[in-house]
Amino acid sequence: MEKEKTKILEISKTEYIIFLGAAVLPFLFFNSFYIQGLLIFIMMWVMLGNSWNLLAGYTGQVSFGHAAYFGIGAYAAALPYFHYKISPWWGLLYGGLAAVILGYLLGILVFKLRGPYFALGTLATGEILRLVFGEEEWLTNGHNGILYTTTWVSKYPYYFIALALAILSILSVKMVMKSKAGFYFLSIREDEDAAAALGINTKKYKNISMAISTFWAGTAGAFYMIYMGFIDPEVVFALHNISIITILIGIIGGVGTIWGPAIGALVMVFVQELFRSAIFGLAPHWVSGLHALIFGLLVITVILYLPGGILGDWDLIANKFKFSKRMRSSS
Amino acid sequence: MKLTKLLISLLVIAGLAVGLNGCGKSESGPIKIGVLLPLTGPQANFGEMEKNSFELAKEEINAKGGINGRPVEFVYEDDTGKPDVGRAGAEKLIVQDKVPMLAGGYSSSVTFAAAAVAQQHRIPFLVNTGSVDKITEPEAFDLTTNDGDKFYIYRLNPPVSEYASGLEGLLKEVVKPASAFIIHENSAFGTKGAKSFAKTCDKLGIKVLGNESYSSGTVDFKPLLMNARKTKPDMVYMISYVMDAALLMKQSRELGFTTPKLFVGAGAGFTMPAFKENAGEATEGVISATLWHQTLPIKGAKEYYDKYVKKYGGDGPDYHGAEAYSAAYVIADVLTRCNGEYTPETIKKALDETNMMTVFGPVKFTSYGKKIHQNKMDTYVVQWINGELKLIWPKNLANAKFMYPIDWKTVWGL
Repeated sequence: MEKEKTKILEISKTEYIIFLGAAVLPFLFFNSFYIQGLLIFIMMWVMLGNSWNLLAGYTGQVSFGHAAYFGIGAYAAALPYFHYKISPWWGLLYGGLAAVILGYLLGILVFKLRGPYFALGTLATGEILRLVFGEEEWLTNGHNGILYTTTWVSKYPYYFIALALAILSILSVKMVMKSKAGFYFLSIREDEDAAAALGINTKKYKNISMAISTFWAGTAGAFYMIYMGFIDPEVVFALHNISIITILIGIIGGVGTIWGPAIGALVMVFVQELFRSAIFGLAPHWVSGLHALIFGLLVITVILYLPGGILGDWDLIANKFKFSKRMRSSS
Repeated sequence: MKLTKLLISLLVIAGLAVGLNGCGKSESGPIKIGVLLPLTGPQANFGEMEKNSFELAKEEINAKGGINGRPVEFVYEDDTGKPDVGRAGAEKLIVQDKVPMLAGGYSSSVTFAAAAVAQQHRIPFLVNTGSVDKITEPEAFDLTTNDGDKFYIYRLNPPVSEYASGLEGLLKEVVKPASAFIIHENSAFGTKGAKSFAKTCDKLGIKVLGNESYSSGTVDFKPLLMNARKTKPDMVYMISYVMDAALLMKQSRELGFTTPKLFVGAGAGFTMPAFKENAGEATEGVISATLWHQTLPIKGAKEYYDKYVKKYGGDGPDYHGAEAYSAAYVIADVLTRCNGEYTPETIKKALDETNMMTVFGPVKFTSYGKKIHQNKMDTYVVQWINGELKLIWPKNLANAKFMYPIDWKTVWGL
């Protein structure tokens, strides 16, 4: 036990296998640009899910406005390009930082709020940014959006960049949660007043959690700009397409678990594509309109029966499965 | 050792799959052309009409022997009205379906975003509805107007800045409004359209009293309309997609906003059958710019309209359908001139040389101002009279006498 404590970061064998498996994945689908594209989106959502999970799942500050940080990261990459032709690739460096700065400033306002009020406060910040970026045409080109000719046609480089960032985001959360700060986050989540009474500087640690969280959301946004080559305020500051989906990924995968967001991202992208493409064109066209409904039902099921998410309640799922198996064999 | 074995077998499988992929291309099957349209989402009304028209044209072309004996096939991709989905769709059509040419393109934002993909992959893209000016301006793609051979975007429909040109005559000669209030949806189509109409107003000496935007999908337009009412404009000019257009008129009627001499739409939503269905009585008297009308003296226009109604029923197509139907015929004409070799380069060359007649009017891609590969067209004015869309301007082509001045209280049954 003593020995383990000195290690800041531990990566288990299973995790190495998962990372390696993820690295091989695009080669298995080498002739499907489409699936490779989906894999890239999964990695982007892993980043966003982790970002949200650290702040909401581990620190108890349930944000409904992660699109604000995602969007600011995307615009941090896009605006220097739009005005001065500076490559958006630099956005990978400063997209995250821009989001951290925004997070700190907004934190001054929203960290005064608790629980549902915090959630509503963050929701408002995302929406305000969407409107401001839509109206201030001189700065952001408004709803015309910003277009950039992407660097590569091939998906491989984007996939590996996204994968590397996604792995880093997972490891960073893992590392933080092993450190002293991680325990403080948990104590803030359990009872903020008690944590303060014990002498934890709750404001400081909430800001630290916010900084790491917003950094990954901003980086994901910058990556989106580089990869997609087009952003507009409605896309990157979207309430339901970004903020809400981010929350759902956390909830479905498992709030407050290291691997929850990764699983949530996988399930979310898969379900969304399954229905958007009308079960790969096998079902009638109207099925594609159902994806929002099915996703809603999935979320309700998870909240009702697996409140800890797929990963958080894995034992429950495994037990159920065993149980029903036993039932079948006995009957 | 095991790893090398695994790697070798993986490579073999990869090689086989690549080989098989290459075999899939046949020389006798249909020629596939990718079409990007909003088939679900708020713009699905337009997408459906355009898809129907593409299909109608396809059946006729193939019944007449197709392209040098090979049938043509349209592969549709749903852009859901969102630029990012549209880009992914365009990419899928180019890379996965390996189409040598793209067509369609409904909303300005989606079309522009998808055009960048086509341009990057060097695949010709014949746009038939997306109307923001910059789509055919090479400048927007880091090229110049001399780069025609490097520019892969072509456009059948006029740009949004020219939509209201047909309207100018009516305003100048008949209505002579002193002031206008502009209401527009806030994406590229609406913002640019509003800007160019404000310029038109300057030219005609019409004072612009207000220029307000909303985001498409808004449900409550009453605060916006009440602001407009306060300024007492002579005319209200609206740039909207179909549901917004219907709600704007419906709520104007509900508010009793009867002071303007004219309610004018800038095409898009205001000429659609779905506009009438949703706005009901408030449709009456509304004027709109349009790019086409079935009664125009263009060969085939009326026939197309009748065939569409016969096949799909309902109220018949407006200019959007005619654009799509004509685009399909332009594609067929272009492919026929490719001499059996259907590559992006041969198609691009054939597009450059296009000079033909369609039900939408003559099609020829020319350059003027900042634009290249742009088809030049006249625009017209229509009015909803007794629940029917009538062509009222220019006078020599009109099929009905325009209704003016309009007593809104009577026509709306207030």
